[in-house]
Amino acid sequence: MTLLGKLTWQAFPLDEPLPLFSGVAVFLILIGIILWIWRNGHIPYLWREWITSVDHKRIGIMYFMLGSVMLLRGFIDAIMLRTQQAMAFDAPGFLPPSHFDQVFSAHGTIMIFFVAMPFMIGLMNLIVPLQLGVRDVAFPTLNSVSFWLTAAGALLVNLSLVVGQFDRTGWLPYPPLSELRYSPGVGVDYYCWAIQISGVGTLMTGINFVTTILKLRAPGMHYTRMPMFCWTALASNLLIVAAFPVLTATLAMLLLDRYVGFHFFTDTAGGNSMLFMNLIWAWGHPEVYILVLPAFGIFSEVVSTFSCKPLFGYRSMIYATMAICIIAFMVWLHHFFTMGAGATVNSIFGIASMIIAIPTGVKIFNWLFTMYGGTVRLCTPMLWAIGFMVSFTIGGMTGVLLAVPPADFQLHNSLFLVAHFHNVIIAGVVFGAFAGYTYWFPKAFGFVLDERLGKWAFWLWLIGLWVAWGPGYIVGLEGMTRRLQSYDVAEWHPWLLVMAGGVGIILLGILAQIAQIIVSVRTRDQRRDLTGDPWDGRNLEWATSSPPPSFNFAALPNVTDLEPYWDIKTRAREIGELARPEPQYEPIPMPRNSPTGFVTAFFATITGFSLIWHIWWLVILGLVGAYATFVGFAWRDHDEVLIPAEEVARLDRANRAARATRLQEQMAERESQRESGR
Amino acid sequence: MSTNPEEFEFGSHIGEERVAGAPPHGPPSLRAELRGYIIGLVLAAVLTAASFWSLDEHVIYAPGIVMALIVLGLAQVGVHLVFFLHLTTAPDNTNNALALAFGVLIVSLIFFGSIWVMYHMNANMIPTKTLMQMRGG
Repeated sequence: MTLLGKLTWQAFPLDEPLPLFSGVAVFLILIGIILWIWRNGHIPYLWREWITSVDHKRIGIMYFMLGSVMLLRGFIDAIMLRTQQAMAFDAPGFLPPSHFDQVFSAHGTIMIFFVAMPFMIGLMNLIVPLQLGVRDVAFPTLNSVSFWLTAAGALLVNLSLVVGQFDRTGWLPYPPLSELRYSPGVGVDYYCWAIQISGVGTLMTGINFVTTILKLRAPGMHYTRMPMFCWTALASNLLIVAAFPVLTATLAMLLLDRYVGFHFFTDTAGGNSMLFMNLIWAWGHPEVYILVLPAFGIFSEVVSTFSCKPLFGYRSMIYATMAICIIAFMVWLHHFFTMGAGATVNSIFGIASMIIAIPTGVKIFNWLFTMYGGTVRLCTPMLWAIGFMVSFTIGGMTGVLLAVPPADFQLHNSLFLVAHFHNVIIAGVVFGAFAGYTYWFPKAFGFVLDERLGKWAFWLWLIGLWVAWGPGYIVGLEGMTRRLQSYDVAEWHPWLLVMAGGVGIILLGILAQIAQIIVSVRTRDQRRDLTGDPWDGRNLEWATSSPPPSFNFAALPNVTDLEPYWDIKTRAREIGELARPEPQYEPIPMPRNSPTGFVTAFFATITGFSLIWHIWWLVILGLVGAYATFVGFAWRDHDEVLIPAEEVARLDRANRAARATRLQEQMAERESQRESGR
Repeated sequence: MSTNPEEFEFGSHIGEERVAGAPPHGPPSLRAELRGYIIGLVLAAVLTAASFWSLDEHVIYAPGIVMALIVLGLAQVGVHLVFFLHLTTAPDNTNNALALAFGVLIVSLIFFGSIWVMYHMNANMIPTKTLMQMRGG
């Protein structure tokens, strides 16, 4: 037992050039960025306004930035995987098996936990309180803790690149391979502790948002007046609260097996490795709905706004969402039909899996009927939505095919399956995140993103998706299994070359998105959103200025119907002036910023790292530190700041003036149209 | 849906004293609250004692012991929900009742589903020992 546990110089990849150089490069870039920020004196600003912020909008933006950075990391893994398989026909390729296994494990883990989740949670953070017409989430500091714990998990995953190695067992560490006997290294431990720490953060987000949506709503906002995105956010967070403890418990059992010699999953000592598959998918299937339900909500908002029509079938949309929320817990066995539960069990879960496609179909038809008869504006968010509807329907149908147990016995763990879930997750979740990103970007930053580059990005992503994963279905049917480091079947090779081309097209799409940000920031003065309503939106988030003040609403809106903001605008156009009179401005108490989240996550990272490397004294230090932070937070008695009435009045009057000007312009425009029409 | 304006007023926001779902007549008196907790404590203690006592084979029919423990356990859950977590049937408690129902549903699905699935797996699998012998291990 040494002071540093299992950590020695051998943990660093000093003899492996690829991870060494990439690790050093990333490290230098990070140091460079920090130095640049420090030199320009931005650290106090960052600390005050962002790192310690408990403002839901800031936290949402930070979640989205975390997701974007991790998307780049996960996408580099994707490029390596596709390149390896393009090269490895009758050849070793450039990645040795041990490295290849780490890359596909890291790719899956990062894309699900640290890209898709932060994207969705980030957008919920940014928009749900605005749509509900309230000033923040129910527990603002807890929200900050959630974010920083997620970031801590992401940090641990990236740390495994240079210190030790990552898990080689795939994105879900199935025993017996993940047991200590077959995976003696720290890879599985990195995976487990990173997911445990970020999982706690996600669970707290779930509790926070369920509370917010159930308990904090603007006066008059019934359940049946909530925007669709709030409904899907509610369903998604209910799923988080119900499913994430299952993940935590399952991984805790695996950790007990690995650390203290338990035998939950060791078949030879009275355990049962199949129980792991059962439990992990009892979390894993709800997880895909946790990701895709908010995306469905985003598409509902986007389709309705850009079709200039209320959402078709609002009530049926609620029923569909809640039906998915329940049935999501009844289908998990379809991930392991081939494990041998027998005909009765397989057919019942197969039928349940087909049934869950029905509410999803209801949603697709509702979106189509929303577009039908509407004035469809093909702005970038709407393009993502249409691309989603087409691609997701195809991906959904291959899913129903996989839900037929006999077909699944042929296709299980083939590239057909991998093509299916990339098809639905990219078209559903990633397109949803990008639709929400382009749609709500002006709300977050006060200027609209460049449309031309946005459309380039969309088409490159859409074509890239199909070039990269269309052939996946074909090679899957030709019998190619997943996760092959090399192969000797000549028929597969051309398709795998095409798939590598597809990932290149997606790369161009990502570059277009980066260019879009740079161009838009440079020309932001010409693309300012002065009124706070750039898309002629329908829900309350557009009733605030862009970006909204920290308190969101000077006076809480009084909701009398679905689409409250559309009502306000219609009334304003009828009477020719702003519909709501200037409110009585009062000072507004807002939660005070707190470094609790950042400090807790700092100690959580230390605890996780030292648990991975068995540095027990540091584990104790980390836990004590985290607990002390919590006590310190609980002890504080000054937890609110008062925003003076004059400040509230100043900000609100400026926005009202901008809206009044826009209204006069619109009225004049309409008048001149009427003149010329006559 | 009633159009009573008071019913609409369930929203609250940061900085507002009133919490949505709080009883409209202010907090109950200390006496009433104390009485609730003491009844709960006594019931919980009685149920705990009863489950230890029922283990004695002479008290109840032996094969029924497991069933008796399950019933006592569920009763214990009920006591905790009513007296300590203050779950009532009042209209402002709908959320809590729904949350409980959702929780019970999901836990039952996972619990009974897992037992069912694992039972079938077990019945269909070659026992590990036989498998090891076949492999010559």
